[in-house]
Amino acid sequence: MRRITLTLNGKQVTHEVEDSRLLIEFLREDLKLTGTKESCGVGVCGACTVLLDGKPISSCLALAVHADGRALTTIEGIAEGDRLHPLQEAFLKHGGYQCGICTPGQILAAKALLDANPRPSKDEIRHWMMGNLCRCTGYYKIIDSITAAAGAE
Amino acid sequence: MATESLSGKSVGQPVQRVDGIAKVTGRARYAGDVELPGMLFGRCLRSPHASARIVAIDAAKAKALPGVRAVLTGADVPETRYGRMCKDIPVLAQGVVRFVGEKVAAVAADTLEIAEAALELIEVDYAETPAVFTAAEAMKQGAPIIHPEKVEVFPGAAAGVHGELLMFPPIPNVISRLVLRHGDAAAAFAAAHKICAHSFATPAVHQGYIEPHTCLISVGADGLVEVWIANKGPHIARAHMAAAIGVPEARIRFNPVTIGGDFGGKGSLMDALLCYQLALAAKRPVKMVMNSFEELTAGNPRHSATIALRSALDRDARLQAIEARIVFNAGAYAGFVPVPTLHGYGELAGTYRVPNCAVEVLRVYTNTVPRGHMRSPGAPQVTFAVESHIDMIARELGLDPVEFRRRNAIEEGDATPLGAKRRHLRCRETIDAGAKAFGWDKPKAEGIGRGISIYEHPPGNFGRSTVKLSMSAEGKLALLLGSPDTGTGFHTIASQLVAEHFSLAPEEIEVAQGDTLSADFEAGASGQRLTTTIGQAIGDAANKMKEALTALAAERLNCAPSDIRIGADGSFSTSGTSIDRRALMGWAAERGKTPLTVAGENTPGKPNDVTGFVAHFAEVAVDRETGQVRLKRMVTAHDIGTIVNPILHQGQIEGGLVQAVGQAMSERVVLKDGAVITAHLGDYKLPTIADIPALETVLLPGGRGAAPFDTTAIGEMSNVAVPAAITNAVFDAVGVRLTELPIRAEEVFAGLAAKKDAA
Repeated sequence: MRRITLTLNGKQVTHEVEDSRLLIEFLREDLKLTGTKESCGVGVCGACTVLLDGKPISSCLALAVHADGRALTTIEGIAEGDRLHPLQEAFLKHGGYQCGICTPGQILAAKALLDANPRPSKDEIRHWMMGNLCRCTGYYKIIDSITAAAGAE
Repeated sequence: MATESLSGKSVGQPVQRVDGIAKVTGRARYAGDVELPGMLFGRCLRSPHASARIVAIDAAKAKALPGVRAVLTGADVPETRYGRMCKDIPVLAQGVVRFVGEKVAAVAADTLEIAEAALELIEVDYAETPAVFTAAEAMKQGAPIIHPEKVEVFPGAAAGVHGELLMFPPIPNVISRLVLRHGDAAAAFAAAHKICAHSFATPAVHQGYIEPHTCLISVGADGLVEVWIANKGPHIARAHMAAAIGVPEARIRFNPVTIGGDFGGKGSLMDALLCYQLALAAKRPVKMVMNSFEELTAGNPRHSATIALRSALDRDARLQAIEARIVFNAGAYAGFVPVPTLHGYGELAGTYRVPNCAVEVLRVYTNTVPRGHMRSPGAPQVTFAVESHIDMIARELGLDPVEFRRRNAIEEGDATPLGAKRRHLRCRETIDAGAKAFGWDKPKAEGIGRGISIYEHPPGNFGRSTVKLSMSAEGKLALLLGSPDTGTGFHTIASQLVAEHFSLAPEEIEVAQGDTLSADFEAGASGQRLTTTIGQAIGDAANKMKEALTALAAERLNCAPSDIRIGADGSFSTSGTSIDRRALMGWAAERGKTPLTVAGENTPGKPNDVTGFVAHFAEVAVDRETGQVRLKRMVTAHDIGTIVNPILHQGQIEGGLVQAVGQAMSERVVLKDGAVITAHLGDYKLPTIADIPALETVLLPGGRGAAPFDTTAIGEMSNVAVPAAITNAVFDAVGVRLTELPIRAEEVFAGLAAKKDAA
């Protein structure tokens, strides 16, 4: 067991975790933050994407102890109270989601993109978002949503 | 189209989904997000053999592991068999295993890690037995019989199936054999000017939903069985569960959860019966989640198929007869499918006028992963074959593929090849609209190829739909539904349909999914049925609600119900006096008459006679050095009815099309010695955002629908026929004909090399 302290969605959190505890288990089971979804479990699908110091990572492949002393952002942490993040607004308006299981990961991956590159081209969006699978939308409306959010910021 | 009578507030508007905010904030609750006090984690041990007898199982060490609360083997669970039509799936293997991945033993433990460690401690002694992996091998006389026992079939298997259906006919390992005839195909072939015959194969493919199969089951002290499961049709699933475990339906509650994608794959109980046995044995709630390895190796992927087609043509290049032999490899169990055979035969060449037709459809057991349903079951396989075959005939006749299709297109008054009579047939118009947008006749560069495929499919009109509609004391309408939204947006569609009947904005309608005790029966998503069937149930509920409100208003205004007029603003009036809805409901509330609740019902009687058409056009670039195919752009043209929600409608088109791009370009469940070796999402290649073509959608306005407000279906139209447009484009580019999916560069390369050798 190890005590870790991290800034989670802007708030300091301290917790005891096993060295082998996966970050996704820490979020979903220990902290009950179930907005982060697990699908493939092997870092291919992107459903479990979270931002560690602003960079997208697969929380199914990371250990909770990796987050010690760092800033972690999950889907629960990007709206400001009832005010949705522009990406959340854009996904809603442009239909960038259907079943919704990949959506938290899509939105966080897109947030990391827009934080680094506020006006990405469609090609840049396609290149960046390649690691986030979606089976429902065919991706066109995800591209539209991210493009719209970039314009809104 | 009835758009002129729409309110302009609801149907046709791009309203936001009712589940939207929950989904973009991560608050939507899927089965995997539910946690119960004392919950255990269930895992199962799976067979490494395709066919074997289980000689002995020793689970003593697993039972002794601290934190293990239950260990089950075949001997510990009832011998009951489960199936949606053919009851052949055991809870755990009963002495024999029939595919690599079959469940042999199971553990419930305090943590997932302990459960997995316990599985490692279970020792199973197998004696391997001969196995068969292809349908052709399995049907040979003398082949090992995979299910020597008598498989129980739900009564009424043949209901709604035209033709001669035999369940378990005297052919080794055949589950069902269906023979259909229309006209006199033999005579047409005897008189033919030209006969063309070709054969095709399509692989098993995975539905690819991102949420894996998940279930959580708890048995209360009072015996109530509580279920949270990723399942698209809770009422039907509950009925199957009740029959399998011997508990009345009223003592089983399927709780509402969000579904993370279905595409036909989530209609079964999957692990739920095993999960229930673990919960009983451990006396604690148990959650089971299939990992992605299990999903890909032991889920219920689409049936692989081999399809042989033969067509007779007259001197004018008009189709006179078509013959088809369709063989589906069903894998080791038939029970994942709720019908005797896959319906895809029904759309065989439905876009063409072919007066004579003969079809044989076989579903066959093999020692491979059991197959299930996926988006328009059977139709993608059959349509890949038909639309390739049609293209090959056109090329053999030296005709342009679009012109050949136009010449043979079905017209108003024609029956389909299998004899179905339908109305509002706009096949040629759909082809023309797509061809124009695509620029079919425009010049193209070397190495570029263009292909077309077409398809028709009526919206499903089967399965019962019921809804509860209530109005509160404040005059607010609430709709209670019995089925989850699998992702398509059907809850939102339902809210829009209710709102339209009352000229309200959909935001004013509260929509909720009930559990199986509070909500009435809904058959669930299947065969493009929901908008049509639930649309009619909602229409029924709206009429009843208006009648009930009229009766209330008559009572309040002291007149006969027939004297009440309902205004466009929702008010009720009679000569000289009127009352608005809110005031009326306030009055009703004081008399204990609220909420006012009505039940809407729809039990469809016969298949729809209104269909829809689609034409897909694809442009590819083929690299002659490597055989690599790049899909550059597509045009998809749809013959549509009234669009309820343009965002959701377009989402179905784009999502369905890209799934089919995956099936054309990359997706294949690869089997080696019967075992799935594409066991990882790195090997099983779903399309990514980088793989999608430039896409233009053409919508033909003015179409008719079979449901209220002239709405119709879209979910399968965008998907089924796409792969053939792409392989036809490959032929157009380099003259290499691909008769098997998916497209593999090495096959294109081999085809190019063979052409070079021949030249």
